[in-house]
Formats: sequence, structure tokens, C-alpha cells
Amino acid sequence: MRSMAGASWRTTQDMSMKSEESAVCLVDDDPLVLNSLRHLLASDGIATRSFDKGETFLAHIEFYSVALVVLDIWMERVSGLEIMARLFVVSPQTRVIVITARNDLAVRATAVASSPVAFFIKPFSDEKFLAAVHNALAQGKNS
Amino acid sequence: MNERDKIGKGDHEKKEPLYAGQGRILEMIVTSAPLADILTRIVLLMEAQADGLRCSIQLLSNDGKHVRHGAAPSLPEAYVKAVDGLPIGPRVGSCGTAMYLRKAVVVTDVLTDPLWSDYRDLAKSCGLRACWSTPIISSRGDLLGSFAMYRQEPRGPNADETRLTEAATQIASIAIERQQDHVLLREREARISLAAESADLAFWVLYPEQNTAWMSAKGRAMYGFTPDEPLTRESFVSPIHPDERIAVQAAFEQVRASQQTFEIEHRIVLPDGKIRWVIVRGRCLWDEHGKVLEIIGVTIDLSAQKQSDLQLQVQREELARLSRIALMGEMTASLGHELNQPLAAIANNAAAARRFFDRGQIDPAILKQLLADIAAASHRAGEIINGIRGMARKGKSARSPLNLNAVIGETLRLVRSDILIQETAVVMDFDSRLPEVEVDPVQIQQVLLNLIMNALDAVEALPRAERRIIISTRSLKGKRVEVSVRDFGTGLPKDRPDQVFDHFFSTKAEGTGMGLTIARSIVEAHAGTLGAEDVEDGGARFFFRLPAAQGLTISKAA
Repeated sequence: MRSMAGASWRTTQDMSMKSEESAVCLVDDDPLVLNSLRHLLASDGIATRSFDKGETFLAHIEFYSVALVVLDIWMERVSGLEIMARLFVVSPQTRVIVITARNDLAVRATAVASSPVAFFIKPFSDEKFLAAVHNALAQGKNS
Repeated sequence: MNERDKIGKGDHEKKEPLYAGQGRILEMIVTSAPLADILTRIVLLMEAQADGLRCSIQLLSNDGKHVRHGAAPSLPEAYVKAVDGLPIGPRVGSCGTAMYLRKAVVVTDVLTDPLWSDYRDLAKSCGLRACWSTPIISSRGDLLGSFAMYRQEPRGPNADETRLTEAATQIASIAIERQQDHVLLREREARISLAAESADLAFWVLYPEQNTAWMSAKGRAMYGFTPDEPLTRESFVSPIHPDERIAVQAAFEQVRASQQTFEIEHRIVLPDGKIRWVIVRGRCLWDEHGKVLEIIGVTIDLSAQKQSDLQLQVQREELARLSRIALMGEMTASLGHELNQPLAAIANNAAAARRFFDRGQIDPAILKQLLADIAAASHRAGEIINGIRGMARKGKSARSPLNLNAVIGETLRLVRSDILIQETAVVMDFDSRLPEVEVDPVQIQQVLLNLIMNALDAVEALPRAERRIIISTRSLKGKRVEVSVRDFGTGLPKDRPDQVFDHFFSTKAEGTGMGLTIARSIVEAHAGTLGAEDVEDGGARFFFRLPAAQGLTISKAA
């Protein structure tokens, strides 16, 4: 609770102090999936920053303004849903693409309620995924 | 028909000497001639020894209270009929009284003796005046009947007649006793046969000296012998399954040398090629010189039992398999999630490689990395599929020495996603020096999955911070290993804690209620025990104990 309070204080007071993160952030605790996402985006010329733990990413967004994160839901310790909840407070401008290996209606509803820009069930089409990434990045520039 | 005619008393027999006659009668006894014939022969032989002598033999009826006709070829039929069936008693002529008192009764004149008061007219009409009766006693001291001499003049027996009486009662005693033994033996045989036949038993006797054998009808059918085929030692040996012949023969040899009963289980091959499982129990009978007289035994047909054992085992394995499949249905999260992860990695890496090619930016180092990752992901997917196939596979279980810590680790990987989704903390408390156990990994994994899934369900309703289960292993005294899965739920059913192991007991809407029942039968098939208990500070603890594998292998730390 203390850290949450601190985070919201910084969000409201010090947003301008955050550095701009140009790379797309990738969060997945499965290294094989994480690497494959990095390569897939690299093959389309998109720079990425990888996080294999939810906590590391949460620490990152305290200091960096992140435009787009590709977020896995089922991770040990901190789940994607918790990260989304935190993002909503700490970095509401960050767009989220949810990827999950499990098509669970309840999860999908929760995730969609936090309004991600796209929702993918692994494995997914590279075309559609890259299109969603480009789309989200373009939206960010327009906004 | 007159018995005199039947036996054929000729004039030459009048002079038949006592000893020669006795010899012939003994021969009749040995060759099991009918008792009535033998007794008639005895009477005729005695009568031939003295002029004017008439004799009779009366038997004691089966109830031990009446006179039964034995032989009286020279007495009038009316007299014979009148005596037959009279009760024995203190005043029933000479014979009834002699049997009653078990001592010789000499009546010199039936017309005056009070013992004959009821039979005086009968005796008179038949021309009988004196009657001396002597009881026939068996070698065991039992009363068998009486031998009587009659004369037409009132007098007592002379020395010759007393000597004849002695000879007659002796030989009659042998004849009657032997016949009674025969009847007893036949009755016993019939009883044994009846018991044997209703119990699916073959009853047999082997006479090693003569190399012959007898076997009950059921036994002949069991072994595939025809009803009249002569049996020898070889008849017993040749149907034995070749794999077990030496062992069975050794058992036979051993029983001939020892005083014990032997028992051996083996297969027999019938003439039509069918196989029967039998158990043979036998014992030797020796004579006083230590020579084996006979080997008697029974053979029990186990085929039906073996067959049902086998069917039961197949059914049990099939039930366990179906339960594993049901269990996998409950592990929906894990199976989908675990397989989709590597598939996503493969798809992404392949797409990335294609795109690098399309852009003409081929960095061999990156390409190599992509291919390596694809291979790794494929391998992982394969392992998961193998795991599923292992759980769903049919067929015989195979046991090998395993480290339970490692098996638990693998099982947890299988349900990783379900644990993740239920946001439950799994605490592992492993004994790093746990001895190995000889188990079927698939079946033990099934037991673990059951316990883990149940524990996950038990903590589901708790607030997230309290949602945890503890899995621990430890060595017990007496070379046993214990695995326990502890939850922090509401504990076992309060009224009857053991009901969780009942068939169809389930707290889950989609549960089959067979999980723990099957888990218990699996553990028991591994010579172990599966139990459950409430823990004092909340929740339940399910545990199973297995014997450590022989050879004291200490597994490496998991």
C-alpha cells in the first residue's frame, strides 16, 4: 500500500520528469516466448526492451514513460492483470497488448475491462500481431 | 431261496475239516465276497463238524438295539423271520440276551428257561430245545452280533462245541469287521468325492511302489484324463507345464523324503492345449518300515480365480487410466497453457526468420539463434505431449527406482499454470537424502496430481495471502518414505473424516469422486498406505508412505 501511494504521488507530481522510452516493452516470464517476441519485432524493425519478471517492468515504469507494452497475463508472483491495474494508476497513457496462452473468459473479461489495445491468444498470427503493434505506436504519436 | 442251496452244501462238505474250511472262509474275506455268503459258509462249516448241530449268526443292527438276520441256513424260515428285528434285552431268548449282556448265554432247555418265556412256542414248533449263544466282539471291543448253536435235545455244550463256537465267533468277527470297514471306507470316499466335486477339487492317490494312481472323476476331468484311462506317475508329470516341471518334480521328491505336506502352484497343459492354473497339496503315508505306501493329495483348479484376478487387474488399470484422463480434464489451464507457450515461441521465431529474409537482412548469428530457439521450443512441446500421452497411455505399468523429490518436481511442472491461475503459493519442503522408491512413475504422478489438485481446491476460497499448500517429503523409520500434501482449507469432513476415500465422494461439481479411491488403490498396489488427517492449526494433510527401494540408494538432492 505504501508503494502504491508513493507511485500515485509521483504520477501526479513528476510525470514530466520521466524519460521517454522509445522501445516497445515486452513482459513474459517464459524466456523462449520473450526472445521470440523480441526477434519478431526486430524482424519488422521495431526496437524492444525485454522483461522476464513483472516486478522489473513495474520498477521500470516508475522512471520511464512507456508508450507500448506487450504483456503476458500468467506469470509467477506478479500477474499481467496486476501490472495492468498498476499501469492504470502509474502510467495511464501506456498502451497495452495482452498476450496469453490461455483463453479463459473470466481473464479475458478482466483484461478487456482494463482496455488493452489488443488481445492475443498464443500462438498468434505474426501479421495481425505486428499490425496491432504498429497501430498502437501510431495511436501514441497521434494522441 | 434257501441259503443252503445258494452256497451249495454238498455231502463232501460234511467232512470238510475245520482248518481247511477256515482257510477258504478267510480267502472269501480277503477277496471281499458278500458278507451274507461268508456268514452262511461259517455256519455250514460249523454244522459240518458235529451231527445234529444247527447254527445261526445274528448281527447287531445299525442302531445298536436290534437283532438283524445274518445267516441261518439250517433253521426254519418262520423262526428266522421271527427273530429278525427283535430288540436286544435281558430276556430275549439266547441271542438277544447274549448281545445285550455281551457274554455267552447257555440255555440248556428253552422250554423251561425264563429267558425264552416269550419264544417258547416258536422254539417248540421249530423243534429247538437247547440254544447257546455267544456274542461276536470286534478287535476294537465293539459288539458285532452273536453266534448260536441249537440242538434238539436239552443239554449244554461239550468241549468240541465250545471250541467250535470260539472258532466261529473269531472268524465271523473278522468278516463282519472287515465288511464294516469297507462300508465306512466307501462312505468316507463318497463323502470326500462329494466334497471334492463340489469344491472343484481333484482328489488323488499315487502308489509309488506299484506305479499306479487313483483319481476322482472331477480330477480326471480337470487333468483331461478319460474316465477309465489307467494312471501312473507319468500321468501326473506329463501335463505339467514345461516351465514348472522341474520344480514340481523336486517338490514330489522332497515330500517323499520329509514328513511334511507339500504345496505347489503350477500350470497344467491339457490334451487340447488349454492351460489350467492349479495348486497341488499332498502328503505321504509310510508303513512302519518307513516305506512310502502312498502319496495322497488334492489339486485345486485356480483358473477361474486367476482369470478373475487378471480381469480385476485390467479393470483396475483401466479405471486408473480413465481417472488420469479425468484428472487431465481438470488440469485444463496447465495443459493448454503449457503447450501454447512453446508453440507461440515457434510461430514467432519462424515468422521473424521469414521477415528477416524478406527484408534481406540476414544476420547468420540471429538466424542461428532463431533456429536454436525453435528447436528448444519444439523439444519442450514434445515433452509436454509425451507427458500427456504417458498419463493417457494404456498398458502394463512399469516400475523403476525413482527419487520422489524429482517426481514431485515434474508433477508440479505439469500443473504449473493451474497453481499460477489459482494464485496459490506452493512451499516445497524436501528431504534431500530421501531414499529411492520402486514405483510406476505415471501412477505415482497420478496420486500426486490428485493430492495437489485437491489441495488447490481446498484453498481456493481463501484470501490470496493465505492460499498456500505445503508439499514435503521425509524418510521414516523402517525404510519408508513419506510424501505429504498439506492445505490450509476447512479440513476433512467432520462427521466421518475417512469418507474422502469413498467411491463417488466429491465436493466438486465436475469431480468423479474416484480420484482418491484410485489414488489409494495405486499406493496400496505399491505396498504403501495413503491417509489423511486434520492439522491442528488448520487444513488437512494427505500423505502416502511407500517402502524404500532395496539396496539403500540415497537419491541426489532434488
